[in-house]
Amino acid sequence: MMARLMPFALLAASLWLWSAIGLLPLARWPAWPLDPAGMDISQILLAFGLMPRGVVALLAGAILGLSGAILQVVLRNPVADPTTLGVSAGAQLALVLATMLAPGLLDEGRWPVALTGAGFAAGLVLAIGARRGFAPVTTVIAGMLVGMTASAVATAMTLAQGQYLLSLVIWNGGSLVQQDWSGVRALAAILVFGAIAAALLARPLRVLSLGPEGASGLGLNVVLVRLLAVGVAVILAAAVSAELGLIAFIGLAAPALARSLGAVSIVGLLAWSPVIGAVILSLCDGLVLLVAEQLGEMFPTGALTGLIGGPLLIWLLPRLRGSTPPGTERGEGASQRRRDPVPLLVRLALGLVIATVVLIWIGRVPGGWAVLDAESFAAFLPMRLPRLIAAASAGAALAIAGAILQRLTANPLASPEVLGVSGGAAMGYAGVVYFAAAPTAIALTAGTMSGGALALLLVAAFVSRRDMPAERVLLAGIAVSALASALLSAIMAVGDMRSFQILGWLSGSSSAMTMQGAFALAGLAVVLWMVALALRRWLAVLPLGAGVAGGLGLPLRQARMILIALAGMATGAATVLVGPLSFVGLMAPHVARRLGLARPGDHITGAALIGAGLMLVADFGARMAGFPYELPLGLFASLIGGPWLIWLMTRPAR
Amino acid sequence: MSLFSLRNLTVAVPGRCLLHELTLDLPAGQVTALIGHNGSGKSTLLKVLARQIMPSSGKVVFEERPLFAWRARDFARRLAFLPQHPPAAEGMTVRELVALGRYPWHGALGRFGPHDHAAVARAMAECGVSDLADRLVDTLSGGERQRTWLAMMVAQEAAALLLDEPISALDIAHQVEVLGLVRRICHQTGRSAVIVLHDVNMAARFCDHVVALKKGRLVLQGGPVDLMQPSPLERIYGLRMQILDGPGGNLVAIPD
Repeated sequence: MMARLMPFALLAASLWLWSAIGLLPLARWPAWPLDPAGMDISQILLAFGLMPRGVVALLAGAILGLSGAILQVVLRNPVADPTTLGVSAGAQLALVLATMLAPGLLDEGRWPVALTGAGFAAGLVLAIGARRGFAPVTTVIAGMLVGMTASAVATAMTLAQGQYLLSLVIWNGGSLVQQDWSGVRALAAILVFGAIAAALLARPLRVLSLGPEGASGLGLNVVLVRLLAVGVAVILAAAVSAELGLIAFIGLAAPALARSLGAVSIVGLLAWSPVIGAVILSLCDGLVLLVAEQLGEMFPTGALTGLIGGPLLIWLLPRLRGSTPPGTERGEGASQRRRDPVPLLVRLALGLVIATVVLIWIGRVPGGWAVLDAESFAAFLPMRLPRLIAAASAGAALAIAGAILQRLTANPLASPEVLGVSGGAAMGYAGVVYFAAAPTAIALTAGTMSGGALALLLVAAFVSRRDMPAERVLLAGIAVSALASALLSAIMAVGDMRSFQILGWLSGSSSAMTMQGAFALAGLAVVLWMVALALRRWLAVLPLGAGVAGGLGLPLRQARMILIALAGMATGAATVLVGPLSFVGLMAPHVARRLGLARPGDHITGAALIGAGLMLVADFGARMAGFPYELPLGLFASLIGGPWLIWLMTRPAR
Repeated sequence: MSLFSLRNLTVAVPGRCLLHELTLDLPAGQVTALIGHNGSGKSTLLKVLARQIMPSSGKVVFEERPLFAWRARDFARRLAFLPQHPPAAEGMTVRELVALGRYPWHGALGRFGPHDHAAVARAMAECGVSDLADRLVDTLSGGERQRTWLAMMVAQEAAALLLDEPISALDIAHQVEVLGLVRRICHQTGRSAVIVLHDVNMAARFCDHVVALKKGRLVLQGGPVDLMQPSPLERIYGLRMQILDGPGGNLVAIPD
């Protein structure tokens, strides 16, 4: 293993040396001990900038590698790491909140705040995962949901405080820039703590690798060991978050590489992952330094690690062992079922129409609420109707996409957000904003749709593999999302007005909707609904798994492709309006199922109606909550949806 | 005429050969048991026959046509497959699940006609689940659920049934009930069945024909009488067994 790591370590070292010598010839390097008093400016830049930066890269990489290794071992989940479990996003959110609402909290240092946020996020994800036997894919999806919710809130806060935008975006991207050696000291102390804790936990973790039943049979306190191990991993990840920001996927990559380089035992994994993590992060940082020197553009290093993380996750997918007990990835337990769903569907549809009319009629005016009289109703109609129709259609389209995906993968956590389409669409939008001289609305729409389609193609490439279980599709989608968000934060880190435009779109808005656009979206939603209804027999058979579906002569590959394409189109179209994140696609099918709509046709129809209703409510809330200013629609939807969803998932099974 | 005819069938995964140059014929119109120790390749063989996995090399012919030349729905009209762990079928009634068996006949868009309704009703009656028609599948007991899945296969009106360990999760009374049902369905209507079984005694009692595998190779093929002797059983399982004469003329094997 040492021999195979050496070239990369040497490469990382020479990249650092390259930029160090570029800064200052070796002969003029300051002597140890470092004393700023006797140095000129380049010597200070080297001794208190570049030197600690090199060491910090090593330390942070090692800490993240160790954190990821511990999480993967304790959860028996090869795709667990601080990023995929939402831990880093939790720390990020806590820091953003503290920066804006209570800067005083940060006087004590950033660590306590970051640790609180990270711990809270980890607790939520574990609570969701525990109900599902820590099934790997489901736990990671829960982690991504918690992470995305945290990011949505953080984005909302950032948007509300434009003046902090730039520094926050750069910090979010994970920058390794150092001004002195304090970061090195802090991270070194954390690494020592982590090493001692890992050494102490190594043996209990080895017993735990037999599975919870086997381990408690051997007298191990499973809950305690899990709590301790996850606690250590969270402390490690939060420390890096506090010190450097969001550095994604090192914790995923390091143990994966350690495993593929031949570290099979748990002790080997815990020992080699930090080493490999240190090498990877140093290498990434070396590349960032090289780019900075050549182009003068300083990207945050965390954006680069995200770029590696996406492809890595994709590479890992086929290698995921089926270590999960069958059935744990799916199922919420028996849910009731309505004998005659038609009255309920009619009530839902009626409710939708009434809600639309009422929402046109009432609104806030300065100093209170007002119901429109007939005259102003006619005046307001052309303004309010398009956006209501558009919002409802987008909600319906997302809900249909979600219902299709949940049935296709037999996983109740599947949703358009985790399909990667939204991430791809965001990339397309950002691309147009940056590379078109004067982006028109049509160009933006086209860019968004084609970005979504591209992401869809990537995911579909997976689905077409014969032996790929449908739930892995979700992980492929997550990988694409990760890739997209890494690229996005790299673009945004350049930091000018265009970043602000993208941020604004990311949170979604329906204010600029024309009547034509609204009807186009509504038409699309109706077509999608009819196609989904036509394919309801597939949607009935597919949740029964590939074995049964194949046995009945269902053309599995085509069916998956067609349904994924359908869901992707629905998501792409809705994303143009509401932005990439709303949770409607996840919530609406869930609610429909809880209301007892079990047959595919009823389920799809009910989900579409509920999705439309949810989006109407979100649109109303977005207009009214911050009156006279308007909050972003998608953001508002996810602010309601995220917490509700997490509550739903942590509830005990009935 | 044979149902399946295998020539040099090999299935390999990286580092391991699951089925090794298997050549044999499975008879039509009979209930065939696939037996062998854990990891002998019996489930793998069944999955190849059901086209769930691709063989690495060799030829398989089903009803005189190469196995992989069949169109998916035509194949499903001739052959029904039940995986080892049928899913929970959450939120589905018995009637709906059985009606899914008509998919090969009407496809995604075709009309669910009177013949389909009749086939579903017949299948439910045949498997004794007519009284459960409006119950939710996930509220049934293990035996009832397995009979429902069998009814789905019967509704498929296929000439051959492939079952992967259909009784592994059932108590002994339900084991006898389910296997008896399979045997009756096949003998009354001239269907064939291939069943992966763990229990030699069940195989000997309910099946007409036995195929035994060991480490991916064929060890024995013949009737129950050929199987229920100490030396073949020792070759298959590596364990000495005694054969007792049951009162009803059944042979019973017990370990020494």
